[in-house]
Amino acid sequence: MATLVTTITETLRYRGKIGQYSWAFHRLSGLGIVLFLILHVIDTSWAAFYPELYGKAIQEYQSPLFTIGEFFLVAAVVYHAMNGLRIIFFDYRPHLWHLQQKAAVGVFAASAIILLPTFIIMLGHTIDFWDRPAEEREVASLMDIIGTQSQFLLGFIVIIGVALAASFVMSLINGDEREARVVPKRPSQVDAWLWSFMRWSGVLIVPLVFGHLAMIHLIGSVFDINHAGAEVVGTTAINESGRAAEFVGRRWDHLVAGVAVWRIYDGLLLALVVIHGFNGLRYVVNDYAHNKIVNRAFNWAIVFGGAALIILGMAALIAGVDETAYRIASDLSNAASATVQNTTSPFGG
Amino acid sequence: MDAKFRIRRFNPERDQKPYWAEYTVKDVEGTDTVLDCLHRIKWEQDGTLTLRRSCAHGVCGSDAMRINGVNKLACKTLLQTLNLNRPIQVEPILGLKVIKDLVVDFEPFFEHYRAVMPYFVPNTPVPQDGRERRQSPEDRARFDDTTKCILCACCTTSCPSFWASGEYVGPAAIVNAHRFIFDSRDGATNERLNILAEPGGVWRCRTIFNCTPACPREIEVTRAIGEVKLAIQRGVR
Repeated sequence: MATLVTTITETLRYRGKIGQYSWAFHRLSGLGIVLFLILHVIDTSWAAFYPELYGKAIQEYQSPLFTIGEFFLVAAVVYHAMNGLRIIFFDYRPHLWHLQQKAAVGVFAASAIILLPTFIIMLGHTIDFWDRPAEEREVASLMDIIGTQSQFLLGFIVIIGVALAASFVMSLINGDEREARVVPKRPSQVDAWLWSFMRWSGVLIVPLVFGHLAMIHLIGSVFDINHAGAEVVGTTAINESGRAAEFVGRRWDHLVAGVAVWRIYDGLLLALVVIHGFNGLRYVVNDYAHNKIVNRAFNWAIVFGGAALIILGMAALIAGVDETAYRIASDLSNAASATVQNTTSPFGG
Repeated sequence: MDAKFRIRRFNPERDQKPYWAEYTVKDVEGTDTVLDCLHRIKWEQDGTLTLRRSCAHGVCGSDAMRINGVNKLACKTLLQTLNLNRPIQVEPILGLKVIKDLVVDFEPFFEHYRAVMPYFVPNTPVPQDGRERRQSPEDRARFDDTTKCILCACCTTSCPSFWASGEYVGPAAIVNAHRFIFDSRDGATNERLNILAEPGGVWRCRTIFNCTPACPREIEVTRAIGEVKLAIQRGVR
């Protein structure tokens, strides 16, 4: 881990050209996106498995804290995408390296050009939301957010703790010292394959994730997910109950020529982004975690964590949101508002 | 004209940690090099200042150091290219253990260099006439750029991936592998590519491009690394 500190301080001190800063931003944005990705896959799966919990998660995403985070997230995705395309280009056309500095500047410029109108639209959605009558918005309080997010944090700590313990036990069983380095006749192709995967998956992810962002943050908005009567983006359906789970259910059940297009879209995006993101995480871990036990623990956490995330997300996509669940939720909420009217009427009337 | 210097100094026998020492060198000219000034500090002010140099003309590659934040050869850095209104910062290159002051332990660097088999392995028997193996000018040009390396370590110690992990062979070793991998007369291409496909090999490169501007010989370092990456996947073209 010592080299992590060195790398951070010396990246600030070394007067490298722009590429060094592009790389630092690429890593930071990637780490930020992966962190959100983990939360996002877990809580979206709640739409299928715990619809009420999903509703609460969306209320957290509508809080000012997460709205600020949303702006950072979109900026991170856009920059990471643009810079990724630059890296891919120069990796496959190394002889054009002399253009890379201009390209790095271009990446910052292109990101700014994309982000400016994006932020204006997102700001518009935010203002519209806070203009709504107070009873139409129910935002999670800071305490709620701390309560939920601390559980995620605890989960991460437990997973890493378990991985560390398992790795330590493994070192007792194996005796790590005996491993002598032998140069294999033909080295493992895994690294070469993953290097290529990072690049072609990146190219595929860019249009998919831009489409996803455009739908959820520009055409629609996070604030529309649980807005009763709002059109569900990407479909012709209306979110009648105003339940967040119905929004997800209607999207996933939307058929084009008999095909559930958004399920396929989300499934493809899920698999590509999780593998891309977790392999990126693996690169970071292998760069800075040199202790054998720690390194192996993090690698296990990454492999099993990534696999678990894909399985969880795919299970949610396959299970879908039970239509009766949000019908009932809708009825309940109608009944609840009816009850509210009944109880208030004696006083009001 | 005077030049101020801030030099990162460390004597492991005496100092707990490295520290900055300041010196002023009087009556310098723009055409003096940083190495000239370091010599004058050592000769006229403080004989304990420790640094490596040999030829002093940018050929031997002994005096790589970080000057005003960038890896350079002290002997090739003229004062007129630096801002003399501020002290010139000189510190050892990063990622190799400091032995004393500006001298670092090059052994891990040379170990990586040796790992890529940086020598000619013939793929044909000695020609009948007992003279050289012939090669077309085009084939020779293919690796011309990477023959220029002087093993000064400017590139390797400018690389954030090398700072992060000394396990990475580093740009210099890959440049020297490139010189033989793309040599039409060489017979050990696959061995070298296999070595560089290992976990400490080319895949540690993140295309950051710090190495290219750091090279005092103007080798297109990142390009060479990129070509080796593609050669591992597609074979040498």
